[in-house]
Amino acid sequence: MTESKTPTSANAVPKSMKKKQPNQILNFFGSMNLAVTLLMMLSIASVIGTVLKQDESTQNYMIQFGPFWAEVFNSLGLFHVYGAAWFILVLLFLLLSTSICVTRNTPSFLKDMKQYSEKLSRAALQHQPNNTTFEGTVSLERQQEHAVALLKHKGYKTKTHIRDDGSVTVAGLKGKWNRLGYFLTHISIIVICIGALLDSNLLLKYRELTGSLEAETRTVGLDEINKNSWLGPENLSFRGSVNVADGGKTDVLFLPYEDGYLAQKLPFTIVNKQFRIKYYDTGMPKSFESDLILTAPDLDEPIVATIAVNHPLHYKNYAIFQSSFADGGTTLKLKVHPLLSPISNPLELDSAINKVEPLKTPMGKFKVEFNDFKMHNIIPATDEEKALTGHKMHNNGPTIIFKVRNDQGKAWEYENYIMPSLQEDRLFFMTGVRESQAEPFRYLFIPADANRKKDRFFKFLTLLNNPIKFMDLFTTQFPRTPDVSEKTYQLQTKLIQQLLALFRSKGFNGITEFVKSNVPEADRKQVSDYYFGQTSFALQTLYLEVLKEEGVIKTHSDEISEFDKTWFEDALNTVAGLSAYGPPMYFEVASFKQIQATGLQITKSPGKNVVFFGSAMLITGVFFLFYVRQRRVWIHIKPNAHTDLESDSTTSSSEITIAAKDNRDLPETTTEFNGLVNRVKKFNNNNNHA
Amino acid sequence: MQTETYLEEFKNEGKKPFTLRDVAWIAFVILGSFYAWTQYGGLMDQYEIGILGGTTVGLILLGRLWPSLQTLTVSVSLMVMLALWTYNSHGNVITANEEAFFLKFLLSSQSAIMWMSALFVMATATYFLALYNKSDFTYKTANFMVWAAATFGLVGMMVRWRESYIINFNYGHIPVSSLYEVFILFVVLTSLMYLFYEQRYKTRALGGFVMLVISAAVGFLLWYTFGKDAHVIQPLVPALKSYWMKIHVPANFVGYGSFSIAAMVGVAYLLTERALKKNPESSFASRMPALEAMDDLMYKVISLGFAFFTIATVLGAAWAAEAWGGYWSWDPKETWALIVWLNYAAWLHMRMSKGWRGAPMAWWAFIGLLITTFAFLGVNMFLSGLHSYGEL
Ligand code: HEM
Repeated sequence: MTESKTPTSANAVPKSMKKKQPNQILNFFGSMNLAVTLLMMLSIASVIGTVLKQDESTQNYMIQFGPFWAEVFNSLGLFHVYGAAWFILVLLFLLLSTSICVTRNTPSFLKDMKQYSEKLSRAALQHQPNNTTFEGTVSLERQQEHAVALLKHKGYKTKTHIRDDGSVTVAGLKGKWNRLGYFLTHISIIVICIGALLDSNLLLKYRELTGSLEAETRTVGLDEINKNSWLGPENLSFRGSVNVADGGKTDVLFLPYEDGYLAQKLPFTIVNKQFRIKYYDTGMPKSFESDLILTAPDLDEPIVATIAVNHPLHYKNYAIFQSSFADGGTTLKLKVHPLLSPISNPLELDSAINKVEPLKTPMGKFKVEFNDFKMHNIIPATDEEKALTGHKMHNNGPTIIFKVRNDQGKAWEYENYIMPSLQEDRLFFMTGVRESQAEPFRYLFIPADANRKKDRFFKFLTLLNNPIKFMDLFTTQFPRTPDVSEKTYQLQTKLIQQLLALFRSKGFNGITEFVKSNVPEADRKQVSDYYFGQTSFALQTLYLEVLKEEGVIKTHSDEISEFDKTWFEDALNTVAGLSAYGPPMYFEVASFKQIQATGLQITKSPGKNVVFFGSAMLITGVFFLFYVRQRRVWIHIKPNAHTDLESDSTTSSSEITIAAKDNRDLPETTTEFNGLVNRVKKFNNNNNHA
Repeated sequence: MQTETYLEEFKNEGKKPFTLRDVAWIAFVILGSFYAWTQYGGLMDQYEIGILGGTTVGLILLGRLWPSLQTLTVSVSLMVMLALWTYNSHGNVITANEEAFFLKFLLSSQSAIMWMSALFVMATATYFLALYNKSDFTYKTANFMVWAAATFGLVGMMVRWRESYIINFNYGHIPVSSLYEVFILFVVLTSLMYLFYEQRYKTRALGGFVMLVISAAVGFLLWYTFGKDAHVIQPLVPALKSYWMKIHVPANFVGYGSFSIAAMVGVAYLLTERALKKNPESSFASRMPALEAMDDLMYKVISLGFAFFTIATVLGAAWAAEAWGGYWSWDPKETWALIVWLNYAAWLHMRMSKGWRGAPMAWWAFIGLLITTFAFLGVNMFLSGLHSYGEL
């Protein structure tokens, strides 16, 4: 740097007098305008990153923006802003800009911190932002002595310069740490960026580009994971997660990467003894904790620790966090009710969450995937309930979530509540179904019987599914009377059988539709009234038979209770809804044993301490910048030529020039300057009178 | 002999004499903290004891710097003691706030917060009245109302802290953990910072403008209370159970408060400048502080806010590192904090390095408040993320 003598630091030199620096490009990259532009670009990118949901599936974006815009946004990297090339580029430019700014300013600022500029000429002093000149009446030595003492008292460090012409400058400097503030803030930005870089996945990206790494996108067992998706101890930094079932262990971690994940081998094994959730009385979770045992080849004793949210376990340069929880393979004893079967023959099935079971049925082959089990389903309580119990939340109890897939691959997802829950004062077993993740569940409400079970419902349903048994029942209950001909009676029973079949497959809507398409307009009302009457009558008969079998009533003409009446209406609604329930099976959970899994997040973050070191620098720097003011004062004393000849040196006259400069002009600068000037004037006046 | 005179003079001046009041203040704060420690020390972990110690030292220094704070602290302490004593003498049940006179009408957290709200709104009107009638008395009344409001606000927060333990020991937490609670923190901190600057820079004509933001926040608080029952004390979600919250949140709100003050000073600046352009003799402008003074105040407040916002963001990152395993996750709240920070960093660069002053900076300070408001409120309302406290 030959031009290091360029007077950027000379405080007296106005900016306009700066010599042009030859390197235009460097100048541009280190310029304030570029820096502020980059800061603004970073802000705007961040706004986009928060407003547009990041890292969702391509499908979701297609739905949201349509194929055209989804493609445009995607190619601009807007769905992964923080990893987009242009975003990284902005960061790099910011780094470059700050680095250039720091290196450019370093020599001059260092000089500025040390130098007192005591040699500035009087003319230069009179160009300073604050300056004044007045007549002094005290001898040079005493004037100088006082000036030094005054400035020291005000917290300045001083340096005195005596010129050949006998004039003296006392230069004061204070607050030089302010300049350090500038360094600390800017260097901290560089340090923080380096720390962040250490923790970034840049190396992984590089390995991906060179073809030695590839994300695994399938959900498969450990031994089936793509070989190119494994990472070993050579990976410097990572942040991933893994679920470990109660009693299970792991030495593998999954790192989310692009559209899939990478598997990271850990140099230690973690056993999850137990995961616990504690609840407040409101039903809100109070704490998540896991009892862990960490073993490693180089550990004599395993580490036993309980981690919780906000209380991680640190081991070497790894940290293990409680971050979530999941099902760890809850075992299920199920009864699969075939919904079309004319006899009661539920299939017993022993399975567990995360298992897939093949099912062979008369309707075809299916696969059931048990996805999740939830012990609690907390929902806001209704107003009445709030008034009654005082609780804001209501627990609907455990659910299982599973998918039934047919051999063409079409899947229905179900959410079955294991216990009945209260809806409008009645107990129902809720079961939700949907055909795509994007839809909400549609619920079917199976009314609970007096024993809070589903037995009555399935009894009623099997009877409805069984025309032979039903016709038997009907003909014994209502034998042909002599006034009806055999043929009419046959037609009548046949009609009832057909109506029931129609109802079973499509509900009352089915009958309405049938009438609409088969009966001329004029007769429709009459016919449908008749059909509805007949159907209701038949269903009632059926129901009464169920009640009789249960022993609730003795004969079909007995009075039935309000509960049983309402139950019947609810059951009819449910049967009507079965047509939209997907494959005709209902999965009843007879019993379960919950096994939880803790969701651990494990990190190795070599950049963390670098980032925090940079942050500490940043904070210190910011305080130096704002709360240390760098100030300079000059007191220049020029003895008047003629007074030197006089004999009494104590009352000699001189010309005093006081000047001051702050590196930022604030109102207090002038106030302080005036205070200082007054002190010097007072000293002169006092001694004049003395 | 002459030399000795001025040296002697230098020695004596400039040192703030250590008065009896200072001794009393230091003793008061130390005894108060010690009492808090004996009462509640068992519930604190080592970090929280550290925070208590830090608060003690900080309060002593702040009180020395700004003596009015001493009066405030003593009043708040006495009122809180009275409230806690009343709860205690009613068997420490929460329903005492309906039975005991002092609690019901004055000192239960809900009553104190209502008093605070009323006083802030009245102070706003009174400051503008004072600006209109130029009466010294009106200004003093407005100023007193703000002090009283801040006192009630602090009492409300302290009592609420205790109430959370009274309702259910498991619910107990410092009241800076829900949107409702941080709004109280916001209005109290902002008003106190304003009072400090008003005293130091004699800028009482700005009072009405700053109180406008506070009144707006109070309006939100009231809607949130009566419309959404947000004042009901809820237990903490596990993620918020950390000593970090006790320092992260207040540091953040010093930042938000400063930025709000700066924005309102900016508005006052722009109005004054416009009035002066129309009529250099404008009587409105003559009542306002000088343009340079407002410009400078804006800079000072933004510097303070920026410094604290920097601290808050770093503390937030440290907390995130401990709770989620990563100091930075580009979560919306985090990202918006960065946006706010970058915005004011750019503002400060323009002022410090390029020497920008006046109207553009005033406009920018005002726009800064919009960005800050979005970071504070908008993110909770429109964007979901890890900072899921207080959704609307
Ligand atoms: C966020 C990243 C930052 C970048 C990219 C950046 C960039 C720059 C650039 C390019 C300059 C111009 C240097 C020159 O003219 O030679 C500058 C000056 C300055 N920056 Fe920053 N800066 C950043 C952060 C900060 C922070 C956090 C502060 C503290 C508040 C700060 C305070 C300053 C000051 C006071 C100057 C003027 C130095 C002087 O000329 O006296 N900067 N900055």
